[in-house]
Amino acid sequence: MGNFGLLLDGFQIALTPYHIMLMVVGVMLGLIVGVLPGLGAPNGVSLLIPLTFSMDPVSAIILLASMYWGALFGGATTSILFNIPGEPSSVATTFDGYPMARAGQPTRALTLAFMSAGIGALAGVVVITLLSSWAAGFALRFGAPEYFAVYFLAFCAFVGMGSAAPLKTVVSLGLGLLFSTVGMDTVTGSLRLTFGLDVLIGGISFLVVVIGLFGIGEILATVQDGHKFRGLSSRIDLRDVLRTIAELPRYLTTVIRSCAVGIWMGITPGGPTAASFMSYGIARQCSKPGQAFGSGRAEGIVAPETADHSAGTCAMLPMLALGLPSSATAAVMMGGLMIWGLTPGPMLFTTKPDFVWGLIASMYVSNIVGVILVLATVPMFAALLRIPFSIIGPVIVAICFVGAYTVSSETFDLWLVLVFGVLGFVFNKLEFPIAPLVLAMVLGHKAENAFHQSMIISDGSLGVFFSNPLVGTITTLALALVVIPQAVKLLSRLRRRGAAGSAH
Amino acid sequence: MHIRRIHMELVAATLTAGIGLLAATGSLDLGVGWESSGPQPGYFPFYVGLIVLLASVASAAQTLLALRRHGQKRQEIFLEAEQVRRLASFFLPMAIFVVVAIQLGLYVGSALYLFYVAWRQGRYHPFAAVFLGLGFAVALYLIFEIVFQIPLHKGPLENMFGVY
Repeated sequence: MGNFGLLLDGFQIALTPYHIMLMVVGVMLGLIVGVLPGLGAPNGVSLLIPLTFSMDPVSAIILLASMYWGALFGGATTSILFNIPGEPSSVATTFDGYPMARAGQPTRALTLAFMSAGIGALAGVVVITLLSSWAAGFALRFGAPEYFAVYFLAFCAFVGMGSAAPLKTVVSLGLGLLFSTVGMDTVTGSLRLTFGLDVLIGGISFLVVVIGLFGIGEILATVQDGHKFRGLSSRIDLRDVLRTIAELPRYLTTVIRSCAVGIWMGITPGGPTAASFMSYGIARQCSKPGQAFGSGRAEGIVAPETADHSAGTCAMLPMLALGLPSSATAAVMMGGLMIWGLTPGPMLFTTKPDFVWGLIASMYVSNIVGVILVLATVPMFAALLRIPFSIIGPVIVAICFVGAYTVSSETFDLWLVLVFGVLGFVFNKLEFPIAPLVLAMVLGHKAENAFHQSMIISDGSLGVFFSNPLVGTITTLALALVVIPQAVKLLSRLRRRGAAGSAH
Repeated sequence: MHIRRIHMELVAATLTAGIGLLAATGSLDLGVGWESSGPQPGYFPFYVGLIVLLASVASAAQTLLALRRHGQKRQEIFLEAEQVRRLASFFLPMAIFVVVAIQLGLYVGSALYLFYVAWRQGRYHPFAAVFLGLGFAVALYLIFEIVFQIPLHKGPLENMFGVY
């Protein structure tokens, strides 16, 4: 009941004309970055953060969060109409979305995607509403060792549960941590890893890194693929929309299952991309034999889109309650919160309830705004994609560099964007996960400070991370997340080898 | 000229191992042990640097072992010759844009970059390309300097016109 009252207060904040206008602007901007290849949600949000410095934090986060929802919707539009996933989390939508659109049912494909995305997002917000106070209350029992254990858990979850090779995830995480240590050490005041370069004294901004990794990195990937847009007719027929909405209850089981997958992957650091793939895979496994996925099946669109959006929404819960972002965009947003002087974590719920509940209420509204806007603007964005890549590509490049410069008005950051752009492209191609790098850059300082304080408390003994049941459980869970998946893989490999040996 | 995946894997592992090594050695001067107030400033980056170094070496070893087991993977291509050409033709103007933007400012850099790419790669008429470059620079000025009051990096040309 307490949460319900706070949510109503949140609606009073979110439902002002100014905030509704920000939601519309945010969703529209998000649709643009979601539709344009090379500009994903993390990049779009990081480009927008410097422009929100003069706004009050509630308005700023509503704008950024709306942009996030818009980008998630925009990614689906290009996946279905052009077979180009504007977002990594929209890749799974192309498998059945594009074939359905090519078979002459673009309206049905888009409506299925947007409606299931909207349902997924709303399920995610309901979970956040129900769990946020509990999660924040639970986190109030945390001291420095518990905090470090939770950060450690987040890092280990990426290593153990991510789809990439564990060693590559460790490298990616480690690089993020190292980049976060460059510059002035906030505890001792020493200059670290600057190698005599004045430009590194201020450190490496995670925003600049994100713009390089995601913006330039992804546009290089588009260039490598031949940068051809092959658009389909995108006229929306209202009767088709209504007919498809009436068809949705048929996929109720898929929707519920995908919501569960998305919520789980959003709260743990799996993120929307992993959620959409996992949900698509489960839907395929659960389908009856003879029902070919990949040829335009409705469940092949409903499953990834529902999971993608519920995961994207739920990624806000650990970010707000524990200061632990479970998606790259949530990590970027968390960086924004810290720039505005807000420290994500349990205290945020008691010190800034208007901020937290205003944001949660805005999620309900902006997702509904999002569904309406995407349905209304599909033809416009389809027209945008008819601009030749030789124009839109360089425009995105120039926007990335300009955006990076605005972070701290340093021309050196332009070089960093270029370097991280190449790194992002190479890492993507070699299947190094990039989200852990961003997460580690954002959490690096907090993790190091928590570790520092824990070590002072224990006089240098690592036993502090097992000193009470709470911290001991989290640390053990973290270690188990790394060890158990590897042990299971090793056992199944040995079993396969044994079976092959006995067959001979 | 193809680039093989195995070569790129090894280059990436060498690069990341190098970063780890650089961080670990760079931290040694700061002190990587303990003092009365807790860990010394280099403690955290030193051990993280070592982890990156070890994980990179292990990752490279794993790649080589996997290749020995699956011979056909040895031939896997990272980038085709055509892709290298395409990337180079996109990347070089972008790198030159950075140099020009630092020397002449972001407005002039952006205008020249868009003009060049539209003209040479997009095969647009030079006048259309000039219009695009200038239009983009003006849009940047209006959005950043006027609406959001965020000054962008300027060069001698803007100074000549008294725009600071």
